[in-house]
Amino acid sequence: MENAWLIPLFPLLSFLVLLLFGRKLKIASAYVGIILVLVSFVYSVIVLFERFTAPTHKAEAVWLSIGELQLTAGFEVNQLNALMLVLVSLVSLLVHIYSKGYMDGDERFPVFYAYLGLFTFSMLGLVMSPNLLQTYIFWELVGVGSFLLIGFYFYKESAKQAAKKAFIMTRIGDVGLFIGMILLFWQTGSFEYDEIFAAVGQGEVSEKWITLTAILIFIGAIGKSGQFPLHTWLPDAMEGPTPVSALIHAATMVAAGVYLVAATFPLFAASETALMTVAVIGAITAIFAASIGLVQTDIKRVLAFSTVSQLGYMMLALGSAGYVAGVFHLMTHAFFKALLFLAAGSVIHAVVTQDIEKMGGLWKKLRFTGPLFLIGTLAISGVPLFSGFFSKDEILMAAWAHGNYGLFWLAVIAAFFTAFYMFRLFFMVFSGESRSKMDNVHESPGVMIGPMIVLGVLAVVAGYVNTPWFGAFLGDWLTEGNPALGHGHVEGPAWIMFVATAVSLLGILLAWLMYSKKSLERDWLSSRAPISYNILVNKYFIDEFYKLSFVYAAKAISLFLKFIEIFLVEGIMKAIGGITQAFANTGSKLQNGQVQTYGTVAFVGLAVLLVIFALTGGYLQ
Amino acid sequence: MTFSYFLTFLVFSPLLGIIVLAFMPRTNEKAIKLVGFLATLPALILSLAAYNMYHTGTDLAEFTERVRWITFGDFGSVDENLFTVFYELGIDGFALVMLVLTAVISTLAALASFHIKKEWKGYYMLFLLLVIGMLGVFTAQNLILFFIFFEVTLIPMFFLIGKWGFFEKEKAAYSFLIYNGLGSAILLIVIVLLFARTGTTNIDALRFLMNTPDAPLVTPISDSLKMGLLIALLVAFGIKLPIFPLHSWMLRVHVEAPPSIVMLHSGILLKIGAFGIIRFGMGIFPEQFTDLAFVLAALGVVNLLYGAFLAFIQDDFKMVLAYSSISHMGIVLIGLGALNEAGIQGAIFQVVSHGLISALMFFLVGVMYERTHTSHLSNLGGLAKGMPIAAGFLLAGAMASLGLPGMSGFVSEFMAFLGLFREWPILAAVGTLGIIMTAVYLLRAVLAITFGRADREFDGLTDIRTFEWAPVLVLMGLIVLIGVYPAVLSQPLQATIETIMLGIGG
Amino acid sequence: MSSVPISAFLALALILFCIGLYGALTKRNTVIVLISIELMLNAVNINLVTFSKYGVAPAITGQVFALFVITVAAAEAAVGLAILIALYRNRKTVNIDEMDQLQG
Repeated sequence: MENAWLIPLFPLLSFLVLLLFGRKLKIASAYVGIILVLVSFVYSVIVLFERFTAPTHKAEAVWLSIGELQLTAGFEVNQLNALMLVLVSLVSLLVHIYSKGYMDGDERFPVFYAYLGLFTFSMLGLVMSPNLLQTYIFWELVGVGSFLLIGFYFYKESAKQAAKKAFIMTRIGDVGLFIGMILLFWQTGSFEYDEIFAAVGQGEVSEKWITLTAILIFIGAIGKSGQFPLHTWLPDAMEGPTPVSALIHAATMVAAGVYLVAATFPLFAASETALMTVAVIGAITAIFAASIGLVQTDIKRVLAFSTVSQLGYMMLALGSAGYVAGVFHLMTHAFFKALLFLAAGSVIHAVVTQDIEKMGGLWKKLRFTGPLFLIGTLAISGVPLFSGFFSKDEILMAAWAHGNYGLFWLAVIAAFFTAFYMFRLFFMVFSGESRSKMDNVHESPGVMIGPMIVLGVLAVVAGYVNTPWFGAFLGDWLTEGNPALGHGHVEGPAWIMFVATAVSLLGILLAWLMYSKKSLERDWLSSRAPISYNILVNKYFIDEFYKLSFVYAAKAISLFLKFIEIFLVEGIMKAIGGITQAFANTGSKLQNGQVQTYGTVAFVGLAVLLVIFALTGGYLQ
Repeated sequence: MTFSYFLTFLVFSPLLGIIVLAFMPRTNEKAIKLVGFLATLPALILSLAAYNMYHTGTDLAEFTERVRWITFGDFGSVDENLFTVFYELGIDGFALVMLVLTAVISTLAALASFHIKKEWKGYYMLFLLLVIGMLGVFTAQNLILFFIFFEVTLIPMFFLIGKWGFFEKEKAAYSFLIYNGLGSAILLIVIVLLFARTGTTNIDALRFLMNTPDAPLVTPISDSLKMGLLIALLVAFGIKLPIFPLHSWMLRVHVEAPPSIVMLHSGILLKIGAFGIIRFGMGIFPEQFTDLAFVLAALGVVNLLYGAFLAFIQDDFKMVLAYSSISHMGIVLIGLGALNEAGIQGAIFQVVSHGLISALMFFLVGVMYERTHTSHLSNLGGLAKGMPIAAGFLLAGAMASLGLPGMSGFVSEFMAFLGLFREWPILAAVGTLGIIMTAVYLLRAVLAITFGRADREFDGLTDIRTFEWAPVLVLMGLIVLIGVYPAVLSQPLQATIETIMLGIGG
Repeated sequence: MSSVPISAFLALALILFCIGLYGALTKRNTVIVLISIELMLNAVNINLVTFSKYGVAPAITGQVFALFVITVAAAEAAVGLAILIALYRNRKTVNIDEMDQLQG
């Protein structure tokens, strides 16, 4: 565990090697990337197992000294970090393998793997950071990795806009984290998590400051995790290659916001207001994104909105003091959402379109992808015995136990929506008869199916590490020795489980009736309530609103300043120049060339001086 | 070990090149470029040697050299050094860092000058003279010598802009001369006044005289006069930095001067303003500086936001970078205005970091202009296809500029804001808006150049080649080095910052 | 000759100087202006000689200075007339108010 800091360095090595030699390695760059990430993964697993027995390990060295202050950098392996290490390196490894098939033939194949390496490095670095500053550093690097990969198809205008949007919107959140981090530093005198928590625990920081800094840090999480109102970049980020969507915009980076709140959980726990903010934002996001997901027709966008919605769930869990529930759902979600994205990638790979209206009847043609997609769909819908069921259940329990009854019911409705739109997606893609131009559909190669199978297995079994039936192993382990994180398992009324199961089954049933059996009109909503349908299709017009408000505001300010520049700054300059010139002109006119005038002036001047001299009798006083 | 003429040789080593060039035929392009480049190397080697010696434990005071130069009047009976100007060179940690930066960027700019198309002989002679001036500014130990070197940078700059620039080069050159001439005049008044009142121009002596209650001044200086002198100094260096609203000259220079010269201009010459404010403003008048700190910090935030918002709507990429320089110099002011260790260290880091980043960016602008003959965003696009390496470095440079961790821009920005948040949190919070805007305008500009569909006319572009590798790799390497291991910079600065803090605290 | 008082010499010098000044400032003909300047110089010469004889500390220096002034005046007249002739060749005039080539 002492050498755990090596884990992020392997992907970094992959990044550097591929950047330098990628052009020569060509297709071999995939093997370089895969092998190096494999090393990281194996090491992560070893570290995780070590962590089961050994205590938290932390090592640091001075990074930057400012006078007396010494800022350190290092790494920490605690329960959460060890878990995240395995999670990130595993999904990254699978995506590395999968991309070998998916990106095959792309001109910039090595560059893709280089970027993947950079991202994996940053993400692994992020989850090992022992202090806020280092977290922020990797937080930003992760953002860059995401930016580069979203903009991978740089020649597409939409990709360019999406990349820009992703970077800027997450940066807005990052600034919140930046401010929160610095304010917290001046309040507690440290960036170190444990020192901050100690200071907070001993009441050295006033309630007001805790709330303020916690909410500022949460703004960072809002940006990164695509929470309302900074969520609009995440659906657009689907412009990136699909494996990237699976890795970054489903399993790892977007979960970084959840991770951040989890990592600074004692801070949030110390302020009820901050917790409430997290919970409310989470619940709003969950229902809000789920409702948009109901009507989208792009396979990746549906998944993107479902990601936003699921992240909202995690936030709701954390905001309801359900630390374990949040982290648990983070883990299960990583598996089934990565699975769904990879399966969606496989579908796109096969039919070369992302529009689900044009798909259908693929179940028979994609013999592996279909069932795997189904597993993912079942898991995310919260069907019993699949992993999503247990974690979602845990979240609902936590929300109920914390007394957030309103938010609890929102979450239940969101669960219903989730089940409905996920199965809508599934039925539209896989059931029914195949459409035209779908003749040469073929199953993806083994390198793509393999990772999906691994994820499929995990999407089923990952839930059993923390169940009400076989013991909350994960929860107990995560909260071990740290009472600030709450209990390993939240007790709640048993009916919650039945309600959750019922709504998801109801959602599935409704989707089946509408899209598979077709006994219900498909355009039920669009024909009956065109306005609300329009609002949903246009994602509540948030993008348009931002465009009209912030983008134009920025432009307006810029133009206003430009006028200042032209009229004031340049004006002052011109005025100074003009005055100087006026003086010069007057002076020049006095030089009329008449020697005798000069002589007269000189003589009169002399005379005046003499008179003054005579009157004052010496120097001017 | 003695270093009696080490600094003199360092500063004047480019003179060797000027002499050699003077005897060369003006048509021998290759040889002239080679000599011009080689002439910057001794300074580079010597400054790196000095840095190395510092790291191996040599006291920087050993580099000091001092020769009696000009004596005004005969005050030998009072004090034989009264009203005497010495030729004295010396360095402290800050100056050492600036010296290395200057030498590095000069060498790289000499390489970048290979793009120059005409009259290489005159160009390189002026270029080397400019380098002498810049090296001298950072080593001068008294105000008169500082002023002389300061002026030495002005004249070659004027000709370099006016003769080798783009379309409106004459206007830019005059604009440069008028503003900087004005700044110099104000600076000269301050220097002469200080000299007349104290009988010395030595910086350390002045620092002592101004801050000791019963110091033996020739004529006493009242507090209000000190304040006036400080404001005059701030205006003089503020023009150079530049501080809003004294910036319009530098926009023209950025746009019209040849990119290799802008590398030096943006990379080092602007930093003389910051150097002057820190060395003279803070050093000599710490008490008055403390009173003005808030004004400076506020001006810094204004600079930061003003530059950022204006950069957002420019069409010429050079203009974007020019406004970005204004914006980034705002961070220097923010750090100085914070007036604590974090802030000042952040300001100095920003000076170095922006020097490297802007040199890199303008080098790439030069490389691009060389191929595409335009720097307007509306004409560019999709360069990532034709020249992926240059585009990659451009993107990396933009990332460094917008303060991506792991690169030098972040460290400085972070420390400056860390300092400011301690003193004026609300002001700092307003300033963080600049962080967002920086990302907005830089991405807008860089993506407009590199991303999108490539125009057909950019088909046969060549990527970065031969000598162009050196600048991008060296600059990028330094940017990342400082970002990852900031101690390389913070260590030499420690003593300087402590001295400044002592002045402010005491 | 000692009966002539010092004030008489000074008065003569003053009168000469005033005439010279008046001529130099008002006459249009450049030759007259040059002659007027000579008058002023000679007024100065008289002053120098007077003080050299009747001053507080009589000394030969004043007379030496007068000699210098005469020499310089001669040189000046020569240069001035030469310029004037050159000008006349170009401009066909000796009027000083038409010689305003250096006006701004």
